[in-house]
Amino acid sequence: MPETANLVLKSKIMSAAEFERALKRIAHEVIERNKGAGDVALVGIHTRGVPLAERLAGLIERFEGSRPPVGKLDITLYRDDLTEISLQPIVRRTEVDFDVHGAKIVLVDDVLYTGRTARAALDAIIDMGRPAAIQYAVMVDRGHRELPIRADYVGKNVPTSRSEIVHVRLREVDGEDGVELWERAA
Amino acid sequence: MTGAAAHVPPAPPPAAAARRHRHLLDFEGWTAEEVVSLLETADVMAQVLTRPVKRVPALQGYTVATLFFEESTRTRLSFERAARAQSADVISFAAGSSSLKKGESVRDTLRTIEQLQADLYVVRHPSAGVPHQIARWTDRAVVNAGDGRHAHPTQALLDAYTLRAALTEAGLPPQDRARPFAGRRLTIVGDIEHSRVARSNAELFTLLGGEVVLCGPAALLPRELGRLPGVHLTTDLDEAASGADALMALRIQRERLGPRRLTSLAEYVARYQLRERHLALAKPHAFVMHPGPLNRDVEVATELADGPRSLVERQVASGVPVRMAVLYALLVGRS
Amino acid sequence: MRLALRGGRLLDGAGDRGTHDLYVKDGVIEGLDLGGPVDVDVDAEGKLVTPAFLDLHVHLRDPGQEVKEDLASGLAAAAAGGYGTVVSMANTDPVVDDPGIVADLVARAARVEGARLRPAAAISRGLRGEELTDFAALKAAGAVMVTDDGVPVADSRLFRSACEYAAELGLVVQTHSEDPTLRDGGVMHEGAVSQRLGLPGNPDAAEAVMVFRDGEVARLTGARVHIAHVSSRRGLEVARWLKASGAPITVEVTPHHLTLTDESLCGFDPVYKVAPPLRTTDDVAALRAGLTDGSVDAIGTDHAPHTLAEKQQDMLTAPFGIANLEVAFPLLYTRLVLGGALPLERLLWLLQDGPARVMGWPAPRLEPGAPADVTVLDLGSERAVDGARFRTKAKHTPWQGEALRGWPVATVVAGRLVHRDEG
Repeated sequence: MPETANLVLKSKIMSAAEFERALKRIAHEVIERNKGAGDVALVGIHTRGVPLAERLAGLIERFEGSRPPVGKLDITLYRDDLTEISLQPIVRRTEVDFDVHGAKIVLVDDVLYTGRTARAALDAIIDMGRPAAIQYAVMVDRGHRELPIRADYVGKNVPTSRSEIVHVRLREVDGEDGVELWERAA
Repeated sequence: MTGAAAHVPPAPPPAAAARRHRHLLDFEGWTAEEVVSLLETADVMAQVLTRPVKRVPALQGYTVATLFFEESTRTRLSFERAARAQSADVISFAAGSSSLKKGESVRDTLRTIEQLQADLYVVRHPSAGVPHQIARWTDRAVVNAGDGRHAHPTQALLDAYTLRAALTEAGLPPQDRARPFAGRRLTIVGDIEHSRVARSNAELFTLLGGEVVLCGPAALLPRELGRLPGVHLTTDLDEAASGADALMALRIQRERLGPRRLTSLAEYVARYQLRERHLALAKPHAFVMHPGPLNRDVEVATELADGPRSLVERQVASGVPVRMAVLYALLVGRS
Repeated sequence: MRLALRGGRLLDGAGDRGTHDLYVKDGVIEGLDLGGPVDVDVDAEGKLVTPAFLDLHVHLRDPGQEVKEDLASGLAAAAAGGYGTVVSMANTDPVVDDPGIVADLVARAARVEGARLRPAAAISRGLRGEELTDFAALKAAGAVMVTDDGVPVADSRLFRSACEYAAELGLVVQTHSEDPTLRDGGVMHEGAVSQRLGLPGNPDAAEAVMVFRDGEVARLTGARVHIAHVSSRRGLEVARWLKASGAPITVEVTPHHLTLTDESLCGFDPVYKVAPPLRTTDDVAALRAGLTDGSVDAIGTDHAPHTLAEKQQDMLTAPFGIANLEVAFPLLYTRLVLGGALPLERLLWLLQDGPARVMGWPAPRLEPGAPADVTVLDLGSERAVDGARFRTKAKHTPWQGEALRGWPVATVVAGRLVHRDEG
């Protein structure tokens, strides 16, 4: 694909060990902030937010003894750029099998960038019911917000320029965990 | 250092592709893969309609115009609902209203309507080919909502969607995602000659890997349709029903056909009405379908129409999600 | 008024007369290479000079439908197509079923610059197929043919009577041979394509049945019956058999039935909607074979203009007809002659001697004393069809953009230059 042909690896931001540590820290923070994980539900944003949410749920279960429900959210139908883009995103199933009403939802995604994906996720969740609260966990916050959105839980803050791409690798998908910084060749 | 996973550059956003079709006029030029994607999108749209807020903002900013030169309140409302459920604006032109003038050429009507700057036209017309003509004259998207006897692609899509789901629930999911009806037979009974539902279903069902049997009175069964790949013709309903996975009955309109075309309605009912006996000849799981509205005890015996194998209500319910998927597929990614 | 057509190759039904300057004076052919002063000079160097064509089948829409065509545009279009004389059909508004209307047509046409007009008159009043018109009076007013073309004469008894009167008076009867109830509202050929497209079909049996009826009545009455626009293998076979068994019939085929098939309708464009309909490749092959084996006696255009708006209606509502006067010769020359299916001489015969024979008129010749109806054809240069440049009001054509050779660059009718292509 033309996209990948022009990309050059710049640096490795997080090793597999650092990744695991950050994820554990986030799990502890979620438990602490919500005073236990009793009424917490995780919702992973397609695509990479989903395995991340599953992992987080597993860690929370390890620390607290009970596993929060995990939902999968596809935000395609809530994007704000559908009248402008030239490609057509494939719409995937959203699977939120628990009741959103009154729940404490933690949205999970790999990278927070402009904030538009998070905005779409908020609208999608709220159309499903009225949650008690929505929190937001990301592995990497790379700056360049275009909307007033912030993450409640961050694995790592990484200042980037717009020509760079942050790639969160997951062992379920890519064979190993880690975070890489790539750049578009001139 | 594992030395294993070579550093693979991140792939572009998964599953976005160039929009491949400007229009949905019939299935000419559509691949099975493209149709199955539509059906999968319809699944997601169906979910939306189960939520407290039965709407998504996906088509906000787009305008959909329905041009129904031939009246059909049900189909028109289904399309308009599909548009509004994705937050698109709707403009309606209906046959009875003064906005569609009798005697005005389609071209001139289009010129007037173009002033309203819709992004997509949903067109139904008593003559075959009008959606194709309109598609030649406009740079907007066109969806065929039924053109004469030629095609009714969204009906075929919702029939495929319904049958595919019913087969899966019956424990018979497709073995090949892109050929969901491989090894399956759909039997369509009725006035085949005048039926756009028959033509579109024959086209789509065979595209998706299946076989179609067209059955009806001899004077209403066009011989040349038997030459299409995967299509067989017969005037014998018992033969047509044997081994079928689904039996679909079409509306018969004897007043329109007249006594020079069709023997009496009583003879039609005696020879072509779907009954228990035909279900027994079909496969054990076989379903009963009808595009609606159904003439009770004419095309389908009441026990079958109301029975556990009837998919008629599900067909109706699947109209909106399928049409939502079609609108999404034709509008998003246009720029 | 004296004209010279210089340096062209002269060809008519009598043969190749060599390359000469052809002189025309006061409406007749004067002779070859005569020299002397002329009023009009036409350069025909490298071109073919041949008698102007004769078309026994055009719809000029005048009187009453002048928005589609009128005498001025129609006769100019004919001249631009290399035609010197056309026989106009009677299905106008009002129908040409009255001697006054015939006389009026003749008078008005005389004042128009273009091909000569010979009107046909209707067989039945108003084309309703119920009452005979007054054949003798119509002939006296100038009618050369009787026909209800546009519609078949369904009532065989009426058709028989028409043939009996026509035979007595020496009028040719032209038939639109289609059984109306078998045709049953069909808008295209009934076959695999129509059944797939879901458009009502018109089977070839409708034509074959009626050709047989028309031919038998011709045999019964001795009338000269000219079967218009035969479109199918079956129809041609029936006509061939009828001729062989002594029926005094002649057969016409149109340029569109020789070059287009029902596949053209796959785009649902009514520009291809015509009656009888475009049929299959097999039918086209049969018609082409008929051009050389004596089955076909004449090529007639059945020029049938309609407005653009009418042809942009839907397939069921749009009127039937293709307008092709200006493109007929180039189309047939390029596709059939250059394509190797037909010798040039035979194509010219089907446009000149053949139709003249059908009408019982003298064969057109480039001989001193013959009427000065001549056309100059450029067989060499290729040019794309451009409807916008047509003289006919029907500028939308099925052949738009196609590269053809054989364009008529000049036409002389009754000794006057009525068409000149500036290039």
